[in-house]
Amino acid sequence: MADSRKISQFCIDAILEAGHQQAECSLSFTRKTEFTVEDGSISLMRTTDDTGLSLTGIKDQRKGSSSINKTDERSMLDSVAELTGLVDANEPDPANEIAENQPQNSFTRGPEKPDVDLMYTRIKSFLKHSKEKYPTLILEQVILDHTARRRSYVNSNGVDFQSVRGGYNFMAMFSSKVGTSISSFNYVAVSTADLSEELCTLGGLDRLMSQSTEQTVTGNLQGSFEGDVIITPECLGDFISMIASYFYDYPLITGTSIYKDSLDEIIADERLFIHSRPVSDELAGGYFFTGDGFKSANSTIIENGVLKTFLLGLYGSRKTGLDKAVNSGGFYVIDPGETSFDEMVKSVDKGILLCRFSGGSPSSSGDFSGVAKNSYLIENGEIKNPVSETMIAGNMKDMLKRIKHISSETVNSGNSIMPWITFSGITISGK
Amino acid sequence: MKRLDLSKYSKLFSGYTELRVQENRDNGVSIVDGTIMGNRRSSASGVSARSYKSGSWGFASTPETDDGAVRHVIQAAWENAAFLDKHENKGGLALPESSAVGEWDLSTRKPVASQKDRIDFLKSIDSYISSKFSKLSTRTVSLHSLDMEKQLLTSAGSNAFSMIPRSILYVVFAVDTDSGPVELYDIFGAPGQFEDVFVSPSSYHEKLDKLYEHLMRKAEGVFPAAGISECILDADIAGILSHEAIGHTTEADLVRGGSVAGDYMDQLVASPLVSLTDFAHTALGETCPVPVHIDDEGTLARDVAIIQDGVLRSYMHNRDSALEFGVEPAGNARGYKFSDEPLIRMRNTAILPGKSNLEDMIGSVENGYYLIQSSNGQADSTSEFMFGVVLGYEIRNGKLGRALKDVTISGVAFDMLKTVTAVSGDMSWKIGMCGKKQSIPVGMGGPAIKCKINIGGK
Repeated sequence: MADSRKISQFCIDAILEAGHQQAECSLSFTRKTEFTVEDGSISLMRTTDDTGLSLTGIKDQRKGSSSINKTDERSMLDSVAELTGLVDANEPDPANEIAENQPQNSFTRGPEKPDVDLMYTRIKSFLKHSKEKYPTLILEQVILDHTARRRSYVNSNGVDFQSVRGGYNFMAMFSSKVGTSISSFNYVAVSTADLSEELCTLGGLDRLMSQSTEQTVTGNLQGSFEGDVIITPECLGDFISMIASYFYDYPLITGTSIYKDSLDEIIADERLFIHSRPVSDELAGGYFFTGDGFKSANSTIIENGVLKTFLLGLYGSRKTGLDKAVNSGGFYVIDPGETSFDEMVKSVDKGILLCRFSGGSPSSSGDFSGVAKNSYLIENGEIKNPVSETMIAGNMKDMLKRIKHISSETVNSGNSIMPWITFSGITISGK
Repeated sequence: MKRLDLSKYSKLFSGYTELRVQENRDNGVSIVDGTIMGNRRSSASGVSARSYKSGSWGFASTPETDDGAVRHVIQAAWENAAFLDKHENKGGLALPESSAVGEWDLSTRKPVASQKDRIDFLKSIDSYISSKFSKLSTRTVSLHSLDMEKQLLTSAGSNAFSMIPRSILYVVFAVDTDSGPVELYDIFGAPGQFEDVFVSPSSYHEKLDKLYEHLMRKAEGVFPAAGISECILDADIAGILSHEAIGHTTEADLVRGGSVAGDYMDQLVASPLVSLTDFAHTALGETCPVPVHIDDEGTLARDVAIIQDGVLRSYMHNRDSALEFGVEPAGNARGYKFSDEPLIRMRNTAILPGKSNLEDMIGSVENGYYLIQSSNGQADSTSEFMFGVVLGYEIRNGKLGRALKDVTISGVAFDMLKTVTAVSGDMSWKIGMCGKKQSIPVGMGGPAIKCKINIGGK
């Protein structure tokens, strides 16, 4: 594999020689080995190599970026020339800047080479497990890949980060069918550093497959009511991502974030702790440095219900005058609570167990609504029948303050660690 | 993209093989409140091969396109297929061997625009907005273009070249209200490069005026009543309905995966007023938003009439599923990047125009909603769907009333389509991206339809 440091320095020198005052170079080499299952059997083995070379130049506060996937000298020089054309066409913006000098650093995590035979063995074992334990379950698509990525970030302020990361990613999408009755599809995506465990033991996979076989016959809810919604760890991740979307550059620069004036204020129940942990040993996934050239650190975004940080990058920080975050978000971890899942169910008079949410993006005021998929009615403290054609609606801001319980159990998907959370006062409506 | 002489590699094919060289080129400029925040170009190119051995597939790709790289991916793809065949031993049948030859190049014939030309175009749009619409709290205008250039050679004898570009202008407005910011956006685009699609900024002024007017009314909008309502779905929402809720359930890989449409072939699944087609490249005499002439398996692309007069008539296939279902493939196998294997994908999916008039359709609704623009949409193998609606109006006694706040609509598509009582005679298209392992450009379109649909409210 090519020498990342040498390539990056060549590009930095070429950008500076072209008249730019600041230069940065992000380089990656990615090798993927993948098995795909279709129609219940392994149908495809795929091996891909790719390169990513992204160059940024700043001249008199004017900025441009050019990306290619080649590292031969001619292509790199052409890309620098293209970059110069972009910068010359731009206008000055004082917020344009590159990361300041930091100590040189290299990082390594996970196996760089796949164990192809073990990948095949594990996926065959998963297919056998699925067929024997859940005969009515149909595997719509199953993908197991090993991805190895060498990344580097180098800039003209002397920043020099290198990382090598390898790991396995597994995704299973399934539904169940009995006669002509079919369930909604559901899916699980997990990451793991190795394949020491059978795939069916990862994340909440086996629980969701089991639930799918129960969901070929559903009941409809009648009317509309305000009730409790217990959100599962798999579904909760989607909600946390929706909430986090208000913390990034664009909504804060444009002032459309519902949390724009909420830093250091209570925005959630005091029992809620949300962390972003891109460099955690607990998670298989993550990143060691950000796209704009800063060494990543873990952070606590919400502590005792208080918003402690936004997720601003360097540009967003300079544009808004607010602090830059210590990472780029993602890899969210929510602290467990003190209530068992069983106790949470028992405390619900009427509501639903929300296992998948198919919803529109929340509005700029935080309102959301969508369909409760693969979900169950809860009545008088018991999980009843799966439901279909059931919608939920609420407001993100209100919802975070209406936490009833956080479960003591959590699920680690390799990219997040989430508990079950009961939110009260959600509008639930049937036909 | 540098075109290669691929024919010399055909002798290296050990069995059914596709060899594809591809380059995707992106250009993006965005201006937020008058400041240029995005100014980038990117390109990704390389070569891939996919081979088939007795029911097992192997795929390999590399970003290099020199002679050694091409030879490497051909060999690696075959070795991957052989690895699977050795373990799986499926004994699959030979794939259909139809072939097609042709070249389609939609590159502009005009002088190539510089980045300054693009920025100036966008600044002109932005200046118009900032000078005319004083109540906006924030505005974003973006230009995005994507050129997809491909060369394909298959062992069946297909030999194709295509350069299919698309260009998009994206506009977002927001206004502050007592209950927080209210946003509205629109997307304008067409197949073609910037030089051909965006000729004059002033041609968008009327559309921008309309968008602002809608936003001002939405700022005073109301939540609709939750429950089933009589609605007029405008072309944008009818298009996403065609794609998400019906189209996906009739992709043969999803049919094999248990989609509800698997049990509905030749059955009445919609009102007889509804006919739905996945167009290959031309619809009603016009070039579609995403024209496909030969797909990435080398199949000559033709239209797929999915629903005819309310009856389900066809699924969409690749060569593999066509073999299993005993039909001819129609060119639905596409990959997004050079490193992506072809999947069964829709191209340009639309309900066909009917005979009604939109104004008459609205006039016929006593108490309901006119839903105009969607944000996102998702559907299920059951055909249960959900779409976010960001622009709509009440209809009271046949007249448009108050605007609506953002809302979600849902239903079971094959039930909902049976409630259709009118289809308008006009038709319009939108270009979108569809996510199914890979993201890929698709066209979605149609007329307006009158139907009953479930609205989520408070």
